[in-house]
Parts: sequence; C-alpha cells; structure tokens
Amino acid sequence: MVIRSYLVKRLRQKTFRPVLAVRGLHQSAVKVLNHPAPEETVTASFGKFISELKPQHLSSLVLHRSKRMVLDSIGVGLIGSTTDVFELALQHCQHMYAPDDISCVYGRRGTRLSPTLAAFVNGVATHSMDFDDTWHPATHPSGAVLPAVLALSDMMPANSKPSGLDFLLAFNVGIEIQGRLMRFSNEAHNIPKRFHPPSVVGTMGSAAACASLLSLDPSQCSHALAIAASLSGAPMANAATQSKPLHIGNASRLGLEAALLASRGLEASALVLDAVPGVAGFSAFYEDYVPQPLESPNNDGHMFLLEEQDMGFKRFPAHLGMHWVADAAASVHKLLVGFGPGTVFPEQVQDILLRVPKSKYINRPFPDSEHEARHSFQFNACSALLDGEVTVESFTPAAISRRDLHALLSRVRIEHPHDNPANFNRMYGEVQVTLVGGDILKGRCDTFYGHWRNPLTDESLRKKFRNNAGSVLPSGKVERLIDLVEELDRLGDCRALLSQLQ
Amino acid sequence: MMLDTLGVGLLGTRTAVFNKALKYSQSFMSYERSSVWGKSELSLPPHYAAFVNGIAVHSMDFDDTWHPATHPSGAVLPALLALTETLPCRPSGLDLLLAFNVGIEVQGRLMRFSTEAYNIPERFHPPSVVGVMGSAAASAKLLALSPAQCAHALAIAASSAGAPLANAATQTKPLHIGNAARRGLEAAQLAQLGLEGNPEILDKNCGFGVYYKDYSPSAMPDSGSGDFKWMLEDQNVAIKRIPAHLGMHWVVDATLAARAKFEEAGENFDLSRIRGVTLRVPPSKYINCPFPTTEHQARHSFQFNCSSALLDNKVTVSSFSEAQINRPALRGLLSKVKVETPEDNTPNFDKMYCEVEIETDQGQTHAARCDTFYGHWRKPLSQEDLVEKFCVNASSVLCTEGVEGVIDMIGNMERVRDSSLLSSYLRMSSSQHQQIYRRRRL
Repeated sequence: MVIRSYLVKRLRQKTFRPVLAVRGLHQSAVKVLNHPAPEETVTASFGKFISELKPQHLSSLVLHRSKRMVLDSIGVGLIGSTTDVFELALQHCQHMYAPDDISCVYGRRGTRLSPTLAAFVNGVATHSMDFDDTWHPATHPSGAVLPAVLALSDMMPANSKPSGLDFLLAFNVGIEIQGRLMRFSNEAHNIPKRFHPPSVVGTMGSAAACASLLSLDPSQCSHALAIAASLSGAPMANAATQSKPLHIGNASRLGLEAALLASRGLEASALVLDAVPGVAGFSAFYEDYVPQPLESPNNDGHMFLLEEQDMGFKRFPAHLGMHWVADAAASVHKLLVGFGPGTVFPEQVQDILLRVPKSKYINRPFPDSEHEARHSFQFNACSALLDGEVTVESFTPAAISRRDLHALLSRVRIEHPHDNPANFNRMYGEVQVTLVGGDILKGRCDTFYGHWRNPLTDESLRKKFRNNAGSVLPSGKVERLIDLVEELDRLGDCRALLSQLQ
Repeated sequence: MMLDTLGVGLLGTRTAVFNKALKYSQSFMSYERSSVWGKSELSLPPHYAAFVNGIAVHSMDFDDTWHPATHPSGAVLPALLALTETLPCRPSGLDLLLAFNVGIEVQGRLMRFSTEAYNIPERFHPPSVVGVMGSAAASAKLLALSPAQCAHALAIAASSAGAPLANAATQTKPLHIGNAARRGLEAAQLAQLGLEGNPEILDKNCGFGVYYKDYSPSAMPDSGSGDFKWMLEDQNVAIKRIPAHLGMHWVVDATLAARAKFEEAGENFDLSRIRGVTLRVPPSKYINCPFPTTEHQARHSFQFNCSSALLDNKVTVSSFSEAQINRPALRGLLSKVKVETPEDNTPNFDKMYCEVEIETDQGQTHAARCDTFYGHWRKPLSQEDLVEKFCVNASSVLCTEGVEGVIDMIGNMERVRDSSLLSSYLRMSSSQHQQIYRRRRL
C-alpha cells in the first residue's frame, strides 16, 4: 500500500530518480542535500508529518495499545511520586520557582507547577523506579511524552482544552516519532552503551507531541524537533544512579520547551535529521545513521510503528533485562519448594550460574543502592530465587540488605553465551542452580510475561495499575482513572482525566 | 574576559533571539529573582536569568574563544551573576573571580581529554559539552559545595551536555550557551539538595567520554601542590573584533590587506573590475556557506565576510543586518568567491591561516595572507582596544553611569565586597535614565 503511493508520488515529481524509486520503500535523503528543496529533506518530512497527522489516522489497534500505555504510565508515575528522587526534584522546583497554579503534579493534591516543571517532576516520577514501559528498539517512550502532553493540556485555556482524541493523537505522535528516529541507526537496536535512549529520542518525541497538541505548522514542527535536538543526549554512566530518572523528566520538560520556543518563532537547523557530512545533527548521537523521510499521512493513511511492534510492560520495577532472569529464577524457586509455600535456604545452594547477555551497566554482583539493585542481573535472580517473585517491595533498603540475599549473591557466577545478544528482542535468561547435594536445577526464560511477544492481559495491566495508583490515590479515583482512560478517545474534554491525577 | 563578556551580552540584548527567549522565560514565577542585563524593570527566576543572559552573550557570535575551541565565558558568567543575587551572604569580588576561574579551568581541563577537541568541531558544539560542566563547577564553587557534592554536580551536568553542531549558524546556537549556563547552575543546585549521579562520570567512556571519539581523562593535580597551574596562564583567549565565527577573522584581515594592495597599486578600488576571488581556508563545512540568507548563516560564512570586507573596507556589527546581507552588490560579489582548502590548512584555531587572492578583469592578482589576526591569543587586543570594544557595545544599552560603573568594578574586582552590585550596573539602561531625566525636567 505504502510502496505504491510512494512510487506514484515519485512519478509526479519533476525530479524523478528512477533507480532509487525502484530500489524500494524508502530512499536515503543524503543525495538530495547538494541542493535540497525544502520539501525533500527528512527534517521537513517529519515536520509535515507531525502537522498533518489527524485523529482519523489513528486505527483502533493504535488506540487500544496507546491507551494501555497511558494507563500504565500514569500508574507508574503515581507510585513514583512516593520516591526520594521525586521528592528532591519537586523540592528543587518549589525552591527555585514560585507556585504556579497551572499543571498538576502526580499524586500531590493541590500542588501545581509551571507546565515545563510539572512535566519535569512527573517525568522523574515515571522513571524513578524503572517501572515504565519499554519498546523495541530500546527506549522508554511514554514517560518522555505523557507528562508533557498532560502539562500542556493543563496549560491550554479552559475554553479550548483538547478532546480525548486530540490528546491521544499528540501522545501517539510522540511515540511514533521516537520509533521512527530509532530506526535510523543499527546501534539503536541493541542495549545501549553510550547515550541513554530516552534522553536522545525521548526529547524529540516530547517536542513532536507538544507541537502536535499546539497545532504548529509544518515549519514550526520541524524547528521544534531541531531545537529539541540541542537538548538531547545524556550518557549511560548515569543509568543505575539517582540521576537516571531525570533523563526522562528532562526529556519531557525540554521537548515541551522546544515546542513552546518554536511556537514563538525560534528557528533552528532545517537539516537536523538529515545526514550532512562534516556537520552532525541528530546523527551526533549515533555511530551509524541513515535517516528516512516520513510520508505524509494524507497520501494513503499511515501505518504506526505501534501496530507492528507492541510495547513491553514491566511487572516489577527494574531494568527490562531483569525480567528474564527473574522469571527463570522463579521457575527454579518453584522446583525447590514444590508446589506449596516454602522457603529457599541459602545453605541449600552451592552455586548459581546466570547466562545472560553482555551489558556492563546491568551486571552488578553486589549492588549498593536501590538504583543499582534495579540494574543487577545478580540481585534480581537471587531475589526471585529466594521469594519466588520480584515486586516493588524487593527494592526497599531492608530487602536489599537481607543476609539471605547476600549469601546467595556471593554464590553467583555470570556467563555471556555467544548466542545471547544484548538485544531486547532476542535475548534470553538462564538460571542454573547447583545444590549442595549435587543436584542441578535449571530455569530458562525466552519471553517473560509482559514482553511484547507475551503481552500483559488488560486485566493484569489494570491490576498493576490498581496496585500502583492505589498507593497514592483513593480507590474511587483509581477506578475513575481506569474508566476515563478506557474511554479517552470518546472524551469530549480531557479535563476530566487531568483532574483525577492528584 | 568578564568585561568583554558583559559588553557583548549587553549588545546581545537587542537581538531577536534574546527577545524570544525573554518572552518565553517570563512565563515562570519565582520568589528569588535575578537581573536581566540591560533591563531596568525586569527580573527573572535565576535559572532563566542565566539562560537569557547567556543567550545574549552568544547571540551575535561576538564572545571570547579559547584553544582548544570553545566559548568559555558565556557559559559561566551569566550563571554566576544570577547566583550572586540570590545568595544570602553576598559573595565578594574575589569569590566571584575564583568561581569564574574554576569554571574556565574545568572547561580547559576537560577539553584536553580528547584530541578531537583540538580541531574545529564536527559533531557536538563544544560550549554545549564543556560549557555546562564549567557552569556547574563554577556554581558549585560559589555555593561552597563539599567535594562529593561538586563531583555529583559535574555528573548531573554531564546529562545536560551535548548539542549537535547542525544548530550552529542558526538562531538556536545562542541557546547552547544560554542552556549551558542555566543547566550547569541547576546541576549544582540539585547536587546541593542531595541528588547523586555517577561519581566516576569523568572516568568512564560511557560517561563524559560519550561526547568524544577518543577520550583519555587525567586527574586534576591537587591545587595545594606545586603541580597546579591555571590553563589560562599558558593559553590566553581570543577576543573578537567582529561578531562572527572566529574563522572569519582571518578572512577579514587577509581580505582587507589584499584590498589595500589593490589600492596601493594606484588603481581605484572598483568592484566591477574584480573577476574572481579565491579564499584558501581550512576545511569546515559549517562555516563554508556560499550564499547565506540569514544573519546567523552570514556570521558563519567565509564567503560573506570576505565579500563584506571587499565591499565596505570593514566588517562591523552592522554588516550582518538583513538589509546589508541582501545588497545586490554583495550578492554579486558572493558569486565571484571561490573557496579552496589546501592540505596544509588545518581546521584548528591555533594553526589555521587564510589567503585571499583577488583577480582583476585585466588578469592582475592582489593577494594577502593572515596567519594571526589582531585579537587572537598570539596577538591579543590591547587593554585600550578591549575597553573600547566594551564601551561601544555597552553604551548601546546602558547609560554612562552603568558603562563606567561596570568598567570600574571589573577593574577593581579583587577589592569589591559585594559582587552582586555588578548586576545593578548592568540594569542601568539608558532608556530608564532618559525617562528619569525627562521627568525631572518637567
């Protein structure tokens, strides 16, 4: 469908390049750069796409999947509002700025901030426990977008609040743009080593979403992206530290800021997404970079990446890689205790072998803090071995410092099999426990429950939401939120949703 | 450096980009307020004061440049001045000077961790990489943070670093410095609240190393030991005479010299007699712009600066207005300029040169070469010329009392007791004083 319309468009243009059109679906924009007409650049195509996308382009599958993401993201943000890092971020905003009765802060009745600051703290909350959604190629898409879209909705005048459908459109623009950008690079397909992906594509997604909600014209949308590019990029070294949640908070805040600046006429590079030799744009964040233009959705509809590639939702608050080893270890736990309740005693265990992909920042034999624990194969495997599961409570200071857990941790060895790539679509986790008696118990997980290949059911997702949101909101509001998100595309005015968040 | 930065910043408050940023920043409310340079009646939350003042400094590409390449002062001074106005115990002039130099020193040290940093950049715009780190360091110093907190301030700032070069030569470039100042200050304040980042941020390739292709950090010598020496002592900054990318300064000096030779040869300088102009410059895509259409592109165009110099026999602040850029005579000259990039001309501010060759319609050539322009660290501006540049810039915005107050205070900074007073001079806009004078007369 898309190929045909693309070829037709090419034939209509005066500058027809037959070889490239025949080659296939997309063409690299590098060749046009000697004298690019504005409408031929990748950057302009993105600006046009954002501006032209309308609610009728959202299919029912996209609506369904994105509403699940919105619900999960709100829940995770709400429980995140109980964390130290959130408190710190909020205090910072309240010290540095006066109260500004505009945008809601998750879970804090009566607390409102300036829109970009609300986006910041809510984004921090969302990623504070590493409990938020994960996509392939790897990033945490919703936390960068939803807080900004919420904050902006709060900012819009009372008589022109977005409808639920406008809201969902903006949200999906933000997700789609992130997905499209990640496909410009092979490096993006694997677990990251240099830049933390949410800090790279998340800012761009937030800018795109806000540009959509603000109804910016195509040129302004392009400039919003370009301005956002100068605000992107944080090093991986800060993952597994208390600063990591700020990557998402800042992505949300700065993307919104980029869109607001673009709406005031600020201009930036017209080639930021294109590959220009000698001057890096968005390509600065990647070793290999081949950008592709986006077709106008008006030509023949648009196939959202979310339709082709579903989202992963976490069952417990830790890096995605942990879910494989936790499920594998849980199955070994079951073998150890039989089918009734029972306890695993560290003295039973002689050796624990983990076969996991190679990735330094999630390989931590003795994590020191909750942030490190959420990024430790060893910790999550041992927790699941001990308790049969990993939950929110597994990361409290008391749980982290358990003697039994430490005893198990000291018996862990790690191997990186060649067939286990650092890639969320292809990795697996194996846990092999050798008992003192000599027995060997094995568990393997190829696809944990919650992964996009084995998605959480709507019921499981709601259960997670109830646990999360219920830690902060009364149950009436919790249920109301579930209903509101379910009917979001039919909501005439998103204020109903905004008012339930605190 | 401080004087020059304030002068270019004040002049920069007249620009479109500054005004857009100012309007945006005014939507934020805060209890603490800091001054906006050149504005007697406005103040902003400290972060946003640092933001807009930083933008002003870099708005016309008129600010200082160092080697390895970055614009060090604009990332640091706006943050510090904003901070001085909010601290309960006002810092002395010496405190300010020390914090400022910490901010400069840290930037210099970081750039030496990579050979990539020595050349004209291609990927990340250096002020966005080291500038935010300098601002964080300087702010941490002024806030008197503990060593651990200072380290965390740097780690937090690292997550705010790195803007791609593609936005150079656009209206967004000045925001790189504005954001460096703002986010470095914020990093220090977050560290003060107890936020922690990776304590090994500078050690790791996946830390600060992500901004460079080659990265080899080395530890700071103990400031108390005999090993410590300020980088600024060994390597001075360049102060610009023209509000354009540093590379343009070689072109302008060489062009003016070639033009003078043309005139010396007894011929009247007649543009129509020029058949072609050849520029021999280092290879650098983002400053090679044959037909700039905006002021930002013009400031980053070898060809434009050469043509301006040929046409007007000078290049000044007013050379970059839209009207000037679009002059038919200028556009005509632009089409005659050819750029060559000889192999021995390295894209490096310490080693580059520019040769200009003008060919007449009668086949004669007049050529000149510039190895070191006046203002470069090898040939620094005299104190008199530096102060003159400041006066011209500052008096476009401040009344005489303000201009003289700043010169005086900077000149005697070591003896100043309350450095926040500097900001009060920066607010003495001439329009305000004209108003008071008018009222008095009535």
